[in-house]
Amino acid sequence: MKYRYWFATLTGISQREKLSLLEAYGSAEEIFWNWEYQKEKAHRIPGEAAKALEKARVQPDWENRYLQMTEEGIELVCVDQPQYPERLKQIYDPPYGLFVKGGLPKGKHAAAIVGARSCSAYGQAVAERLAKTLSGCGVDVVSGMAYGIDAAAHRGALAGGGATYGVLGCGVDVCYPGRNREIYNRMQLQGGLLSEVAPGARPLPFLFPLRNRIISGLADVVVVVEARERSGSLITADSALEQGKNVYAVPGRVNDVLSYGCNWLISQGASILFSEEEFLRELGVFSPPEREKNKNLMEKTLEKNERLVYSVLDFTPLHIDQILRGTGLEFTQAVVALFRLQCLGLVKEITKNQYSKTRLT
Amino acid sequence: MYSVVNTAVLRGMDSVVVQVEADVCDGLPAFEMVGIPSSEVREAKERVRAALRSLGYRLAPKRVTVNLCPADIPKRGTGFDLPIALAVLSAYGLLESEQLSRTLFAGEVTLSGSLKGIRGILPMAAAAGRAGFSQVVIPEENGPEAGIVKNITILTAGSLRQVIGWLRAEASLKKPDIIIEERDPEKVEVDFAQIRGQQLLKKACEVAAAGRHNLLMSGPPGAGKTMAARAMAGILPALTEEEQLELARIYSVSGRYQEREGILTQRPFRNPHYSITRTALIGGGRIPQIGEISLAHNGVLFLDELTEFARPVLEQLRQPLEEREVRLVRLGGTYIYPADFMLVAAMNPCCCGFYPDRNRCSCTSASIRQHLNKISRPFLDRLDLAVEAPRVTVDELKEPGDGEASAVIRRRVEEAQKLQRVRYREEAFSYNSQIPAKLLSGYVRLTPGAKTVLTQSYDRLALSARSYHRLMRVARTVADLSGGGDVGEAHMMEALLYRSLGDELWREMP
Repeated sequence: MKYRYWFATLTGISQREKLSLLEAYGSAEEIFWNWEYQKEKAHRIPGEAAKALEKARVQPDWENRYLQMTEEGIELVCVDQPQYPERLKQIYDPPYGLFVKGGLPKGKHAAAIVGARSCSAYGQAVAERLAKTLSGCGVDVVSGMAYGIDAAAHRGALAGGGATYGVLGCGVDVCYPGRNREIYNRMQLQGGLLSEVAPGARPLPFLFPLRNRIISGLADVVVVVEARERSGSLITADSALEQGKNVYAVPGRVNDVLSYGCNWLISQGASILFSEEEFLRELGVFSPPEREKNKNLMEKTLEKNERLVYSVLDFTPLHIDQILRGTGLEFTQAVVALFRLQCLGLVKEITKNQYSKTRLT
Repeated sequence: MYSVVNTAVLRGMDSVVVQVEADVCDGLPAFEMVGIPSSEVREAKERVRAALRSLGYRLAPKRVTVNLCPADIPKRGTGFDLPIALAVLSAYGLLESEQLSRTLFAGEVTLSGSLKGIRGILPMAAAAGRAGFSQVVIPEENGPEAGIVKNITILTAGSLRQVIGWLRAEASLKKPDIIIEERDPEKVEVDFAQIRGQQLLKKACEVAAAGRHNLLMSGPPGAGKTMAARAMAGILPALTEEEQLELARIYSVSGRYQEREGILTQRPFRNPHYSITRTALIGGGRIPQIGEISLAHNGVLFLDELTEFARPVLEQLRQPLEEREVRLVRLGGTYIYPADFMLVAAMNPCCCGFYPDRNRCSCTSASIRQHLNKISRPFLDRLDLAVEAPRVTVDELKEPGDGEASAVIRRRVEEAQKLQRVRYREEAFSYNSQIPAKLLSGYVRLTPGAKTVLTQSYDRLALSARSYHRLMRVARTVADLSGGGDVGEAHMMEALLYRSLGDELWREMP
């Protein structure tokens, strides 16, 4: 196993090259020991990579690091092992090894939900609800644990009770970004954290586009919720298409900067995510989610002013002045209604004195 | 011959009477000055010599010694010119008058012999009264400010010649025209009626003014934050006579009396640029000068672009905000300047100013956090109220300004403050914002409804003990604005709207 670790943490050599070496030698252990004697087997490996490999063989402390990793409860799953995710094996350049904290996707279906980091409250609500529905139906939700849409998708999936997997651009023992610590901790128990880079690796910018191919590789389908014109989510969508997976985009208004990427994907032929049921049907999941019947319920429980305030609210945060103008209520009336709506969890103060709905009706 | 003339020197907000002694004797011709004179006092000898010559006095070359007594107080300022000139003349035997011992003189003398105004006339005149002098002779320029001192005769002169003439009983000196400003209290510089939209902001300003709470406004550029801050001074109750005198003293000491019109009727509004230094803000120097916070005494100190102020500068404000005065300790003594001001601050919500409008703002949550982190938590904790001022829409700009006039708001503020004065008549504080934590439960009684609101919010908003106290104080003011009585449900909800930015730095920022 430790040779697998050595081979998986090898840098300076691409995943494709690793796979071809593996094919030639048979196993990581063979590569480690017989590298010098059977050099002719590695004739397809460029000189640079060969040098990196040579150097790594004589590095002294990799065994210690391997022991440390096992002590921390991080697992390594390699492409030549049966538990390696089948879907990921199919892609052009699957990572040789996956470092895992928690578990690996086991469900029949998996969907990736990705999107912008600095997203709107609307995008968050969409991602959260979709992930909740999916995980409630037993679909694994895969994302990148970034701020914004990614975090919302993980949160939704955790709330839905299903498993959710975060593919990190750093070592799995590094919680990046740090403020997602809560979902990071919960995902270890309810899903897992995966990464192709060695534990302890710092989050370096070039690692993030690379991990996107794993996100799409682990899923049957990729949903882009919100993306700007040049967004990392579009890289995920690209790799999904290369891997022959279906890409869905959540459509947005024409002038929304955050929907530009999604609308562009649609114009390029991506599927439109317009209804959760339809999406689930196309995914092949047939447990109809119990439709939240809270619309009528809400109408009944809300008082007149609260209903009035709720009706002017949207997912674009509205300042209390705008609410006052929209409803024509007195200041105190509006304040009281807003307070009640917040207590019911229907409305959230996104930032100081700006309110938005929390859920899609 | 020996002579003595009385004058006074500024010491913090106060003044000390100083004797200028002069002695003229034979010996090597010289002009010596002793008694810790600063450089501007030392230069007085040149001004005096030239001024006396221009008046036609030919002083014989003799040894002149001038002592400033008591000799252990550092002397500074230009007010010594006039007394030195008189003391020298009298020591030469060129001037004799019994008025000299009954009068206190202060003023700067130019080379041509005319008199110029000096700083701190007001405390000097007051000190003269206390020390039992019957009259004070000062430059004409300082007339208006000394005029408000009672129980002493103030005489003003335009030149050294006039003073000498008066001492010889050949001429008389003018008393200053006491200008009691008749100002319409309803007239304000910026009226709240002029501000379009911004209902929440106006409400918050009213609450802040009523309970003397400090206020933080955040919002995009051009929302009207600066205008609202200017209008704040206009909704505070009119100055009491005591407050007027205190302000006049501060402005006299800082030499800014003339700068400000309506000093006795209008509350000060100070608006220092964010490049301000620590010393300029709170006061300081070897012999401490008055800083902006003291100039804003009994008024509004407005810090625009709060995030641009150097952090150490803002930290300096913490102590004066608590103690309502600034205490500057120097080797020469402790100087205490009053600094009971209302702090109003404004800032943008992020670097570009448009958050949470995601179509315009693409700041990352890290950069927004960084922006907010420029202000320390303890400082934010001292700002009881925080509101967001949204961008004003075109519709609002087109609407006629139908908001309430400042005068209407001020009446409500006055009523609320009256309630507070009655309630705290036996306490050391007089406003809701100043209730100490241990007395909160006694003075802020909640209705059962308000208690429920508070418990519901406590967990939802993750309030801390500190923010709880702040909330109680603000709720008290909100209730006072609607007539006093117990704090009700709606009052508490309104107070929650204004809760400070320090309480929760937007935990789940998208």
